[in-house]
Amino acid sequence: MSDAGTAAPLLVVDDLVKHYARRGGTFVRRVVSTIHAVCGVSFTIGASETLGLVGESGCGKTTTGRAVLQLIEPTSGSVRFMGQELVGLGAGAMRDARRQIQVVFQDPFASLDPRMPVGESIAEPLHIHGMWERGDGRRKVADALRLVGLEPHHANRFPNEFSGGQRQRIGIARSLILEPKLLVLDEPVSALDVSIQAGVVNLLEDLQEQLGISYLFIAHDLSVVRHISDRVAVMYLGRIVESGTRDDVYDRPQHPYTQALLSAVPVPDPRKERSRRHIVLEGDVPSPEHPPSGCRFRTRCWKAQEVCTDETPELVDRGGGHPVACHFPETTTVV
Amino acid sequence: MSETTLAVQDLNVEFATGEGTVYAVRGISFALAPEEVLGIVGESGSGKSVTALAIMGLLAKNARLTGSIAFGDRELTGLKEKEMSGIRGTGIAMVFQDPMTSLNPVYTVGWQIAEAVRAHQDVSKDEAMARAVSLLELVGIPRAAERAKNYPHEFSGGMRQRVVIAIAMANDPAVILADEPTTALDVTVQAQVLSTLQTALEETRASLLLITHDLGVIAGLADRVLVMYAGRPVEIGTVEDIFYRPAMPYTHGLLGSLPRLDSDGSERLRQIPGAPPSLTDEPKGCPFAPRCPLREPLCDEEEPALRTVVAPEDSSGTGPATGGTHVAACHFADAVADLPVASMFSDSSEDQEGGIT
Repeated sequence: MSDAGTAAPLLVVDDLVKHYARRGGTFVRRVVSTIHAVCGVSFTIGASETLGLVGESGCGKTTTGRAVLQLIEPTSGSVRFMGQELVGLGAGAMRDARRQIQVVFQDPFASLDPRMPVGESIAEPLHIHGMWERGDGRRKVADALRLVGLEPHHANRFPNEFSGGQRQRIGIARSLILEPKLLVLDEPVSALDVSIQAGVVNLLEDLQEQLGISYLFIAHDLSVVRHISDRVAVMYLGRIVESGTRDDVYDRPQHPYTQALLSAVPVPDPRKERSRRHIVLEGDVPSPEHPPSGCRFRTRCWKAQEVCTDETPELVDRGGGHPVACHFPETTTVV
Repeated sequence: MSETTLAVQDLNVEFATGEGTVYAVRGISFALAPEEVLGIVGESGSGKSVTALAIMGLLAKNARLTGSIAFGDRELTGLKEKEMSGIRGTGIAMVFQDPMTSLNPVYTVGWQIAEAVRAHQDVSKDEAMARAVSLLELVGIPRAAERAKNYPHEFSGGMRQRVVIAIAMANDPAVILADEPTTALDVTVQAQVLSTLQTALEETRASLLLITHDLGVIAGLADRVLVMYAGRPVEIGTVEDIFYRPAMPYTHGLLGSLPRLDSDGSERLRQIPGAPPSLTDEPKGCPFAPRCPLREPLCDEEEPALRTVVAPEDSSGTGPATGGTHVAACHFADAVADLPVASMFSDSSEDQEGGIT
């Protein structure tokens, strides 16, 4: 699907860290602790490639996406896009870079201005980047609407006239109007009923094929991620615990957390679902304010040993064919 | 199975609103056998939660209910609030979607479970608390005696839902009614809660009415499935019937729209065109007809009743069907059942919701 192996990748994220200071105290709001939201995350995305970033609530996947977009400033680490370092870039240069990296958010009800005809919402990026006059703005909006399966005359309508799925299509049209190379999609279909979700997922697949665009697809739904991704990275408590091609991760998972996560997703096939192995994890995810030392999954892991407490396992290929951050990796089929 | 613990017969629920009458549930009937798990599936607004509230006697004041809800040999419709309270908890217990709203934030969880025990059983406070602790142990809360003294906010979402299940178990109900019990939870937490729910069923030997939009959860837990669309039951059958031989086009569409963990993603997803009908309209014809690829003139004229689907000639391998027949509300149910799942729906990426001109 991609030639990321030969050409330089479009996006290179290296050792990304984001810590938030938690402030407390009665009179003076001093820093009382640090929330370790993202800790040393690295990945690449090639041209026309989809990287699925999955994990449960609080694992840091959304923070990672926002740091890639530079909507939040990373504590440390590097985000290189088409060879250019984005971290620390000035506002003007960042605006130029952002033409190439656009975002689609989860809630199609919150992300469109209810008082603005949708055509204007879609055209807004053109105005911001001074491209409305230069190009044929109106035609571009019409093209964008057609591209997402809507009609050009819908441009005059207001968001409240559209359903959730249609609004998400409008959000996608707006993100495409500048012809970006990378879309960051943060839970783009999780607010939609399944029968509507199917159309939007199909649309994203078709757009990638037509436009050669790359996706950072952030989601908690492992089934959707499997459907749409070329490569997948699994996050737990601020770190990537396993990454690889879609089939590496889903068919040959090696990290105990990936295995538990996949085994917990119910499959809509009664015979298969009842004969599968289900790994039920003990306890809850620890607080990112006080993450465990060493391997962060060790407090819930059935394989944990002393080394897991003392040593943080690096995310490297340990002989299984793809990177895994576990001292005791073992390929197990769980789907 | 001749025995039933809960029998719903021709249940209709209407709400009088400023914008007209909303027909939320239209003619739903089912029987729940002892220890059976019946799943009710449907999308937002299909009437599944209203059905649950009707059974529990918790409908809002502007609701009008007709039909019968029989619990054992007692008729529940028309019961006085006081009589209904006697049945809630001991007869039918309920688990809601959001555990934070079903627990009281100002009491410890141990107190709340003990309270449920004391509401229906003649025991001392100490005995009730001891029972609360053992229930917490049963639902897998570590250090139960200690945790019983904690307040709900000191528990995570999954643990809170397990506390709610402990309360549901407290009086050995004959039926547990769970409305989207895992919808708000992460997937590994969902697995914990589902396994707790199974423990509760084994322990109490209760039947379960499981309401959810998640077909995966249904596939893992249910014996039989009832599919709802626009307030109506449109298909009822064993899980095998529903997942492997769906006889209503809507069921086909639902199954085909799901991305699947167990497929490599090369298959395109299927879209159901259009949107569900407004529930304020007077029913005419099949409610799914406007979205159905197999629509015929007959479908607009006559609403199909639930009809028995002819079993395939080769029904070997699955064993005898448990708990009744496979019925579907489609004029062409037998033909639909023989089609490959979802093959009738389009895999396009066009916007097919319509509704905007």
